[in-house]
Amino acid sequence: MKINGVIIDDTFAEAFSMKATRIIITAMTLKWAYRAANSLTGFASSVIGCGCESAIERELNPSETPDGRPGIAVMVFAMSTKDLENQVPRRVGQSVMTAASTACYAGLHSEEKISLGKNLRFFGDGYQISKTINGRRFWRIPVMHGEFICEETTGVTKAIGGGNFLVMGKTTRHALTACEKAIEEIKKVAGVITAFPGGIVGSGSKIGSKYKSLVSSTNEAYCPTLKGQVKSELSKEVGSVLEIVIDGLSEEVIREAMRAGILAVCSYGPRKGIYRVSAGNYGGNLGPYHFYLKDILA
Amino acid sequence: MNPLIFKLKIRPEFTLNVSPLTPDNLSRKSKIHIKKINIRYGKQKIPVEQLFSITGADPENIKIMGSSDKLICIGHGMSHGNIEVHGDVGDFTGQYMRGGYIHIQGNAGAWVGNCMLNGRINIDGNVGDYLGAGLPGDPHGMSDGLIYISGNAGDRVGDRMRRGIIIICGKAGDYCGSRMVAGTIIVLDKAGKYSGFGMKRGTIILAKKPRHISATFQSSGNLKIQFLRLLFKQLSEMGKQLGFFNKYGPEAHRFTGDLASNGKGEILILQTIKTG
Repeated sequence: MKINGVIIDDTFAEAFSMKATRIIITAMTLKWAYRAANSLTGFASSVIGCGCESAIERELNPSETPDGRPGIAVMVFAMSTKDLENQVPRRVGQSVMTAASTACYAGLHSEEKISLGKNLRFFGDGYQISKTINGRRFWRIPVMHGEFICEETTGVTKAIGGGNFLVMGKTTRHALTACEKAIEEIKKVAGVITAFPGGIVGSGSKIGSKYKSLVSSTNEAYCPTLKGQVKSELSKEVGSVLEIVIDGLSEEVIREAMRAGILAVCSYGPRKGIYRVSAGNYGGNLGPYHFYLKDILA
Repeated sequence: MNPLIFKLKIRPEFTLNVSPLTPDNLSRKSKIHIKKINIRYGKQKIPVEQLFSITGADPENIKIMGSSDKLICIGHGMSHGNIEVHGDVGDFTGQYMRGGYIHIQGNAGAWVGNCMLNGRINIDGNVGDYLGAGLPGDPHGMSDGLIYISGNAGDRVGDRMRRGIIIICGKAGDYCGSRMVAGTIIVLDKAGKYSGFGMKRGTIILAKKPRHISATFQSSGNLKIQFLRLLFKQLSEMGKQLGFFNKYGPEAHRFTGDLASNGKGEILILQTIKTG
């Protein structure tokens, strides 16, 4: 299969089950909501080393936020509810509560919940105030900038992590330009995030290593500098491979995001240094979700 | 299905306890059974059919027509469904209510929402004393839900209230929020004397400056209260009736007290109304 001269491999992206939550951060201005959100989602590119995967989902208009201020929707993915419970309150406590003028609310409502302000309230040292409005419980924690408002819990839902595709280009500059365009398109899809820096992975990995202590290591078959040294998957004109990894709330949204991203990449074509699109899988042994590129692009 | 309509046939001279006429109690009963339910009228117990003419079929939507201030205990302990009353009602409307919606198109007596656990009560007219309060012997007053009063309220609004929201569009009497344990009371017109008397925690929001603030409340000054933004936005989204809350801003003069009790309550006197 070819799109605009770009070869689409007959393969699939292999994804696995995760748990996810969404939280809403508001602040006096969008700039300060971004500062808190950027801090919360920092060092959250992969569950392998960070404990969770997190990124900004989208900006929210004041009419969409619980307190009528500008806000940011952030999504956090982890391998289990327990992992989310471990990561989210700590990140909110250190990154959102410490940011000036912010407040934090649940962005998902479901039966299964994790704590948000439930334990953070103790920062109020006895001066915290609980308020229930329309069935939702909020904590008012007195802080030096005024009040930090935090919803008691946020909902948790089943999710999918690891939707991906590989972009093979002439040089890193070519591949990166196309991937940046792909990320712009993926951001338009609700319910997905790309957690790696800028949404793009420069060092895609395979499972396992020759070193026993490592769970993952460099994917040598896609390393341009190892062509001729290992059994490479790359043709001679490919000089750089970048990966886009997508976490989402459902198969449908991941499919939609992959399609949008791949089409954006293909719009560059071989003339602009994009030769091939593939996807990462582990022979179908890692996860139950298989996203076949040809089905997605059909 | 048409609502189940109870039309009062007599003009009651004594209190008429209509607590059995709730969606919970009527949902599995045929009309014949409903007619035979005994309700307390003064000292006697009288079948419903002698006091009301009954039409309609849907017990989830109950209407009481031609009401009188002698009708007490409307929606007692109900957990779901709607009760709409055309006319005035007596005391104890929504007592021990656990859910659902009561709408009184008239005035109500004392003890509206007494020990209410959840649900919503709307009163189009005025209410008597002890709105959302607890009876002597009850551990506390209302513990969740929302009460909306279009008119005025009597004394001791939210006495020993534990949680929930009371909105009074008119005036409130003396001792508003007395002995509050927690919860929120909003008074959009003037409140009487001794607001927050003995309150331990909780919030009393006054849209107009009261004539009197007890000496046991200390000023925290004029502040932008972040919680007010949240509260007003959330209330304004709870139906058209509460849409007007989006005109209120977060600036308030905060008084904390009652220092003679726990001292962690607050009276917020709103400073601004948004314009434009």
